[in-house]
Amino acid sequence: MARRRPHRESSALRDLLGAFLPLAVRDVGREIDERLRKLPTRLNEYGYDAFGLHLESVRTAAVPAVLLYRHYFRVETHEIERVPAGRVLLVGNHAGQLPFDGLMLSTAMLMEAEPPRICRSMAEYWVPSIPWFNVLAARSGVLVGTPENCIAMLEAGECVMVFPEGVRGMNKTFGKRYKLQRFGLGFMRLALETETPVVPVAIVGSEEQQPGLANLPRLGRLLGMPAFPVTATFPLLGPLGLWPLPVKYRIYFGEPLHFEGAPGDEDAVIQEKVDVVRLAIEDLFARGLAERRGVFR
Amino acid sequence: MEKVLITGISGGLGRLLARRLLERYEVCGVDRVPWEGHPRGVTVHVVDLRKKKFEDVFRTELPTAVVHMGFIRHFRSGEGLRHDVNVRGTKQLLDHCTNYGIQSLVVFSSGYVYGAFPENPYYMDEDHPLSASRSYPEIRDLVEVDTLASAFIWKYPHIRTSVLRPVNVLGTFVHSMIGEYLRQRRVPTVMGFDPMMQFIHEEDVCEAIALALEHGLQGVFNVTGPGAVPLHTAIRESGGTPLALPEPLVRPVFERLFRWGLWPYPTGALDYLKYPVTLSGKRFVDATNFRCLFGLEEIFQSVRR
Repeated sequence: MARRRPHRESSALRDLLGAFLPLAVRDVGREIDERLRKLPTRLNEYGYDAFGLHLESVRTAAVPAVLLYRHYFRVETHEIERVPAGRVLLVGNHAGQLPFDGLMLSTAMLMEAEPPRICRSMAEYWVPSIPWFNVLAARSGVLVGTPENCIAMLEAGECVMVFPEGVRGMNKTFGKRYKLQRFGLGFMRLALETETPVVPVAIVGSEEQQPGLANLPRLGRLLGMPAFPVTATFPLLGPLGLWPLPVKYRIYFGEPLHFEGAPGDEDAVIQEKVDVVRLAIEDLFARGLAERRGVFR
Repeated sequence: MEKVLITGISGGLGRLLARRLLERYEVCGVDRVPWEGHPRGVTVHVVDLRKKKFEDVFRTELPTAVVHMGFIRHFRSGEGLRHDVNVRGTKQLLDHCTNYGIQSLVVFSSGYVYGAFPENPYYMDEDHPLSASRSYPEIRDLVEVDTLASAFIWKYPHIRTSVLRPVNVLGTFVHSMIGEYLRQRRVPTVMGFDPMMQFIHEEDVCEAIALALEHGLQGVFNVTGPGAVPLHTAIRESGGTPLALPEPLVRPVFERLFRWGLWPYPTGALDYLKYPVTLSGKRFVDATNFRCLFGLEEIFQSVRR
């Protein structure tokens, strides 16, 4: 593991704050440490991996994530054992204005999968230019979504989470819930190139967490964002207006799909393969929606 | 014994390299400033690379190999002069190499030529486009030098030419922008950004240049060191205190300070403090079995004040 950083003030502060934390939170912290210890990672003498991942930051970020996971979204995961060891692409639906679905999926992989995995995810090109958030993202395993980065991750045997709908899905309006938007084709080309199994993932619940009334992408572009959603509370209440409702999350993992073919094939050929993944996610949706008793339960 | 001509021999790196190469080669060098107390066996000519006198060095010394590292890397003498010396000096040098039967040439380019952008992938290989001038026009001369040298590889395949693009070079003797930056007591950074940065020790860089010469490498190679750390870790480890300033303040203030000559770096350099520019050194390692000797801690130790 990493050399102990001689990093004084912050650890004293942490100890002090720790004394005031409720026992439940401290237990969560201890549990996360336990899980992180089981992770095979390649860290340098300063505790960072080559791509900026930092386990101490993962731990810091994981505590609130686990609390949300257990007590706010009360996430249920189904068939997480279907995720094979080694390189794998988790392909899921994206919704809810803010990427809590990604956060919950990676928390599930950290806390429920055996052995625990750290999900590496591929972010929009503008993420590295958001102050603070870009550092937090990089420390917890997020990379810019370039093909080179994704291939590097898969070749290193990592678990990569992709949302091929991108902002089209995340900022869609409420009427389109559980209707998958157009999928980007890039992930399939990468899966073919690196012979990576694809695990379809359906996240039921996130689609209702912050119902979108409209999306104003032009206004968004003016502000340097890829989308500008309007919801009952955003932009009325400021950024906090995007905070999700306490919906119940259900995460369903499908059977791993193996694809063969040339990664450079024309779009129509790739599209057929992508549609297989889409259909698999839609099947999981159908199951999840039938199993649930309500949006919040 | 083969004779090597080193341009920029009086610089920190040039001196180290001259000493390293003396074991196997006869060494001569040119620079704009003299090298006081240079070792016996090294001849140093004080010339301007753009002048006719530089050609006389080729004529009289008759070197068989050239290491080109005589670049102006700071902005104190003005952008125009810097561009002229670096680009036209390189052009002259390449012409002399073809006219005076040079057999191998190593051009010491820079890892900055790829440019710092949010969409940069990690560990870029040598085929990545050189886009530095898009956001940092002040160093377009480095990109032009690199392009001139890369084209030279294909134009004159009988001359074994290699272009080396090292990551940030640190050390006791080398004068690098990043070294000066890290040696400050309070090191300004851009608030909310902390990119991964790669470093390499000056001795390892000299070793890499020597290896490129000895192997007669041909092609373009990134040269990387022991690894990458976030910028703030690098600053703390080298004994400084990061001073995170908000970008809307940093840009206009530093731009003016730079124009008045009170701050050494143009604002284009700020992007290198925001986005990762990390290189893959695999091609060079595969070609030469290069292993760096200095670890990250020793590298940071070398710039502690």
